[in-house]
Amino acid sequence: MATTSFKINIVIDGKDYAGEPNQTVLDVARANSVDIPTLCFNPLFPEQRIGSCRLCLVEVKAGGRPGLQPSCTMPVSSGLSVSTISDAVYQARRTVVELLLSEHVQKCRDCPVSGECQFAKLCRDYDINGVPVCAECPNQGEGCLLTRGELCLGPLTYANCNAYCTRKGYRCEGCHSIMANEDILRFGLKAYKDAGFTKEEILVAAKVFSYDSMEMLEKIMTQEGF
Amino acid sequence: MSEININVEHLTRVEGHGNIVLNAKDGTIEKIQWQVSEAPRLFESFVRGKPYNQLAPITSRICGICSIGHTLASLKATEAAMDIEISEQSQKLRRLAIHAENLQSHILHVGYLVAPDLFGVGSVVPLVGSNPDEVLAIVKLHRQANLMSDLICGRTTHPTNLVPGGIYKTPSPYALKDIRQNLLDMVPTGNAVGEVILANAGALPDFKRDTEYIALVTDDEYALYDGMVGSTDEEPQHADAYKTIVNEFVVPYSTAKFTKNKRDSYMVGALARFNLNADKLSPLAKEWADKFGLKPVNPNPFMNNVAQFVEFVHSIEDSVRIIDELLDGGMKQEPTPKVTPKAGRGVGAVEVPRGLLFHEYEYDDKGNCVKANCVIPTNMNHNNINQDFAAFAPTLLDRPEKEIELNLEMLVRAYDPCISCSTHYLNVEWVNGSETKKEGN
Repeated sequence: MATTSFKINIVIDGKDYAGEPNQTVLDVARANSVDIPTLCFNPLFPEQRIGSCRLCLVEVKAGGRPGLQPSCTMPVSSGLSVSTISDAVYQARRTVVELLLSEHVQKCRDCPVSGECQFAKLCRDYDINGVPVCAECPNQGEGCLLTRGELCLGPLTYANCNAYCTRKGYRCEGCHSIMANEDILRFGLKAYKDAGFTKEEILVAAKVFSYDSMEMLEKIMTQEGF
Repeated sequence: MSEININVEHLTRVEGHGNIVLNAKDGTIEKIQWQVSEAPRLFESFVRGKPYNQLAPITSRICGICSIGHTLASLKATEAAMDIEISEQSQKLRRLAIHAENLQSHILHVGYLVAPDLFGVGSVVPLVGSNPDEVLAIVKLHRQANLMSDLICGRTTHPTNLVPGGIYKTPSPYALKDIRQNLLDMVPTGNAVGEVILANAGALPDFKRDTEYIALVTDDEYALYDGMVGSTDEEPQHADAYKTIVNEFVVPYSTAKFTKNKRDSYMVGALARFNLNADKLSPLAKEWADKFGLKPVNPNPFMNNVAQFVEFVHSIEDSVRIIDELLDGGMKQEPTPKVTPKAGRGVGAVEVPRGLLFHEYEYDDKGNCVKANCVIPTNMNHNNINQDFAAFAPTLLDRPEKEIELNLEMLVRAYDPCISCSTHYLNVEWVNGSETKKEGN
């Protein structure tokens, strides 16, 4: 007679799933294609559960201590019911991304992760405007349109479009408007300086979609020695 | 007899805001008007001072549906002003872009906006329940047209790939082959949709009013991208002379300018193109025109819906022809065009889904725009709609008020008006609380 392995039944978003005794809620969710975002969890080292990024928060509805709990460190237990899509979960995760973003060094054009940036994806998923188009753009390094002489507005423009135009090789027109974060603008402007664009050229291009930001952009450009 | 007071404010299932006003007493009409109440757009003034390469992206925002047409008219005006030649390959790709837009727009109008009238329901939503297969076929056709636009133009709306001097980045031959296959797959689906429209075409009122039809004409093709401005009433003229063709004037009840040429009004759009160029349609499109009994010159504005479907079929077949030419000729990756700006004036005329579109620009020697003028197809149709009302309404007066209203609404919808695009004038002066309008540019 074949041995049947011992299964624990849990409920995620109202649907029944079966997990092994040594699994966490995150494991069961991933095994069943339920989306739970993570940043600190590294799939290469699944045994390490740091539980520090707090993005995998789920809301315990029944069968455990009620409230928001990190799913990566929560073992499955019989009768457990969690929600991954409740308002409380969305708001908590959004706050987490916002807090991470406030500390994030916006050097997307140097970051090796750029192009497939998890963080940019999270900003998109949780409707946070904070990263430039470069964070989502796959044309890094040699492929950068700026270095090829195209006046791409990617470094100055809010992302959340998954770099729709630059991904296909067209310059960014800046239709999501110029970012309000002066530090990011300062960093982005260095790229234009390296590529040899003048103040006048950049302002004329940016003015189409960001008339309101012209004063700020001009001030920063003057400070940066354009 | 009773009084009839119809005031449709605003008409639904059209783009923008327009009102229908009908007041009749004892069988005589006191007032019948097509009013455009949309706010002016002021595009012509805010492109002033902008460099030549920004004009197409800005003016394409006049419309979300005809953005490709606006881009091409804008580019053609810029290229005419600066004497820029574009390669044959770019010309062909631009023709594909126009077809992509025609496919998108015509199926949207016929499928989502007119079909509910043919089935006697209020919108496309009830049709999802009653005729799911047909609605899904229309969604599928629309999607394929969007994919084609995405490939050729870089986006489904507001193109990034069309630039002064040609094409920014040549699409790969492999992607074009995919699009070709998609287009071939569209033919049976399109035929099925055509049969449904044909079966319900009896719902289109039989109303005739002779008017002037204006559209681009050429000797060798069903003119959409290029050609002379032809008319049923006069010899073809060069687009440069567009001001003597459109003859814009202002009426107090409309924020859009009205136009007329040889007669009281004229019509542009799919029916005008069909009436002038029917013999140059593709074989399958001709077949469909015969099935619908559509023959030039057809004076029934409601047949514009049918003409749109015929053009839809033509666009599929002609796109396949152009793609075959491109692939057989050996596509090459052309470099991004470089333009040397210079002073000049140019007019661009393109046939967009709703009819003939003009853009005119004047540039200084640095390539900055000094003056711009855009004449939008719906702009030219407003007067014709108004004249149609005057002829159509008296034939309806013995019917119930709801039916009169529906017929008048269907008449406006047949023109596929893009109302907010058409409101182009400047200088509104408020004098003692009453509004007097001055013609701008």
